[in-house]
Amino acid sequence: MTDFIDTFFRAVFLENLALAYFLGMCTFLAVSKQVKTTIGLGIAVIVVEAISVPVNNILYNVVLRSGALDWANLGHLDFSYLGLLTQIAVIAAMIQILEMVLSRFFPALYQTLGIFLPLLTVNCAILGASLFMVQRDIGFVDSIAYGLGAGVGWALAVIMLAGLREKMRYSDIPAGLEGLGIAFMTTGLISLAFMSIAGLSF
Amino acid sequence: MNNDSPLKAFLVILVTAAVCSSLVSATVVTLRPIQLNNKMLDRSRNIIKLTGLVEEGATPSDEKMLELYRGMDVRIVDIDQAEFNSELDPLSFDQRRAVNDPDLSVAIPADQDFASLGRRSRFATVYVVFRDGDLGRLILPVHGAGMWAPIYAYIALESDLNTIAAITFYEQNETPGLGDQILRPAWQAQWKGRQIYDEVGDLRFAVSHGKVEPGSATSLYEVDALTGATVSADAVTSMMHYWFGPHGYRDFLQHILEHGTGEH
Amino acid sequence: MTSKETFTKPIVRENPVTLHVLGICSALAITNSLTSSLIMSVCLTSVLVMTNVAISLIRKHLPSSVRLIVQITIIASAVTVIDQVLTAYLPDAARTLSVYVALIVTNCIVLGRAEACAMKQGVGASILDALGNGLGYSIVLIIVAVIRELFGNGSLMGYRILELAHEGGWYEPNAMLLLAPSAFFILGFLVWGIRTWKPEQVEKADFKPAPLPDREKR
Repeated sequence: MTDFIDTFFRAVFLENLALAYFLGMCTFLAVSKQVKTTIGLGIAVIVVEAISVPVNNILYNVVLRSGALDWANLGHLDFSYLGLLTQIAVIAAMIQILEMVLSRFFPALYQTLGIFLPLLTVNCAILGASLFMVQRDIGFVDSIAYGLGAGVGWALAVIMLAGLREKMRYSDIPAGLEGLGIAFMTTGLISLAFMSIAGLSF
Repeated sequence: MNNDSPLKAFLVILVTAAVCSSLVSATVVTLRPIQLNNKMLDRSRNIIKLTGLVEEGATPSDEKMLELYRGMDVRIVDIDQAEFNSELDPLSFDQRRAVNDPDLSVAIPADQDFASLGRRSRFATVYVVFRDGDLGRLILPVHGAGMWAPIYAYIALESDLNTIAAITFYEQNETPGLGDQILRPAWQAQWKGRQIYDEVGDLRFAVSHGKVEPGSATSLYEVDALTGATVSADAVTSMMHYWFGPHGYRDFLQHILEHGTGEH
Repeated sequence: MTSKETFTKPIVRENPVTLHVLGICSALAITNSLTSSLIMSVCLTSVLVMTNVAISLIRKHLPSSVRLIVQITIIASAVTVIDQVLTAYLPDAARTLSVYVALIVTNCIVLGRAEACAMKQGVGASILDALGNGLGYSIVLIIVAVIRELFGNGSLMGYRILELAHEGGWYEPNAMLLLAPSAFFILGFLVWGIRTWKPEQVEKADFKPAPLPDREKR
C-alpha cells in the first residue's frame, strides 16, 4: 500500500508532468484562461490517464515486450518497437469511448468538456505518462498509481496556472508580454517552487 | 469510389496499416543489429574504464573495447548465499529486470534499506579481472535512490576487496550543476585508495560533509563533500552502506577472501 | 501564396512556437544542451516532411470519418522510424532525448500542419511548409539552447567556451539555467522580444486599466 501512495505522490509533486517535464503545455497555454474550463480539462485528463496508463501497461507486458509472448510459445519475439503506435491507438480509442459514454450518461459533463476531449488525443501529457511508464518498467498496480498521480499532478498545475492567469486579467502587463509571455513567466515560477519539494523524505 | 462510403474507409485504413507496419518493421529489422552492438559497446566502455587494463586518458577504438570486454570474466553472484552461481547465464542475465521477478528478487527489510530500494535482485553480474593469474580487481554493480531518480554505478575493488580502485556512475539524473558533481573526474579520482571497511571490519566509507583533511583519522575512508548537493552525496553514501553492508556484498566479499575466486 | 512565402512565413511572422503556441513541450525540456536541440530539430523537421508528403499524397482519398486516426497512424509510424534510426546511429543522443523523440507524435506542430496545409495543398507546397515550420521551430530551440548551455555550463555543443570556476577558470556558471524553470523564463523573454519587434503579434488584453484622472483637475 505504501508503494502505491509513494508512487502516487511522486507522480503528483516530484515528477509533475507539467512542471518538471513540460508536457501538455500547448493545450493548456493556448486554450484556457478561466479556472472553470480548466477544471473540466483537468478532470478529463485525470480520467483518461487513469485508464490509459494501466491499459497500455497490460498491452506492453502481455503482448509487446521481449519474452511477453511466452504464453503462445513466441517468447523470442520482441514487438516493443510497436509500442508508440499501439499506445497512441489505445489513447485515441479510450478517448473516443469516453466521449460516447459521457454524451450518453453524463451529458452535462460532456457539455462542459466540449472541445477538450478530442483534443486530448494529441496532448503530450497523456502519451508522456504511458511512455514514462514503459521506460521505468512500472508494474501493473504501480501503473494505476502512476496514471492517477500523473493526471492529478497535471490537473493541479494547470488549474493553479489558470487561477493565476485569472488574477492577472486586471494587471497592467507590458504589451509584448500580454498573454503568452506572462503565462510562460508564471509557469516558470511555479515550476521553480515545485522543485523545492524534492529531497523531502517521509 | 465515394469518399464517404464505409467500404472506402475500411480500405483506406487497411492500406495505411499495411504500409505503415511494413515500413516500421523493415526499419527495425535492418537496424536492430546496429542497436544491439551499440548497447554492448556502451556497457563495455563503462566496465573497461574500471579494470585498469587501459591507461588513464587513453581512448581505445571500439573494436579494442569490445575485444577487451569479451575477454573478461563475467560471473553471477548469489548475494544471499554469498557465493558465485553457475546456473544462470552471466551474459544474458538482466539484473534490473530481475528486481520485478518474485523468484529472482528479495524484499529488503526496512531497517536495512539505506538506499531506499524496496527490493533487490538476488543475483548480481560481476566482473573479475585477473592479473598474472591472480585476482586483480573485482567490479561490482551498485545502485540506490538518488534525489530525482535511481543512481547506477560500477565500483572496482582491489584484490584486498576493501580498497576502492575506481568508481563510475553510468546512469543518474541528479540536479545539473549540483548533484551531478558526482560525475566529475576530480571527485571520482578521490575514491581511488579509499577503504570501505576498517581493521575491525566496520563499514567506514562515506562522503564527508566537509572537506577531508589529508592525514586526519577519516581521510582513509572518506571523500570530499559535494557543495550544495547534500542530498545526492548522502544518497551515494547510503548506497555504499547498503551494498557493502550485511544485506549486500559483505558476506560475499568475506567468502572470496577466504576461498578465492577460482580459475578464469 | 508564393513558394518563397510558404517557406519564410513560419520563421518569424507565423512562428509555430512563439505565435501559435505549438510544440512547446520539447522546446522546453531538451534545450539545456545545444547538441540535443539540434538533433531534435532535425528529427522534427524530418517527421514533418515525411508526414506532410504522405498526407498530401492521399488527401483526396481520405474519408472524413477516419481522417484523424489515419493521420495519427502515419505520424506515429514516421516517428517510430526516426526513433529507430536515432537509436542505431546516435545512441548517446537517443538516451538523452529519451521520450521526447517519441513525443513528436503528439507535437502539435506536426498534426497542426498536416491539417492546415497537407490536407489542402500538393506535395511541393507541403514540403516547403514543412521545412519552413521546421526551421521556425529550430530557430527558437537553438536560441534557447545557446543561452542555457553557454551561461549554464560555459560550453557549446560540449566544447568549453567559458572557463568554469571549479576547474580553475573565472566563470561561475548559473546552474539554474540548466534546470526546467529557466526554459520558461527564456521563452517568455523571447516572446516579449519578438512581439516588441513585430507588434502585430501582440495579444489584446481582456481589460485595460482606465487612465487615472488628472490630479490638477480635481
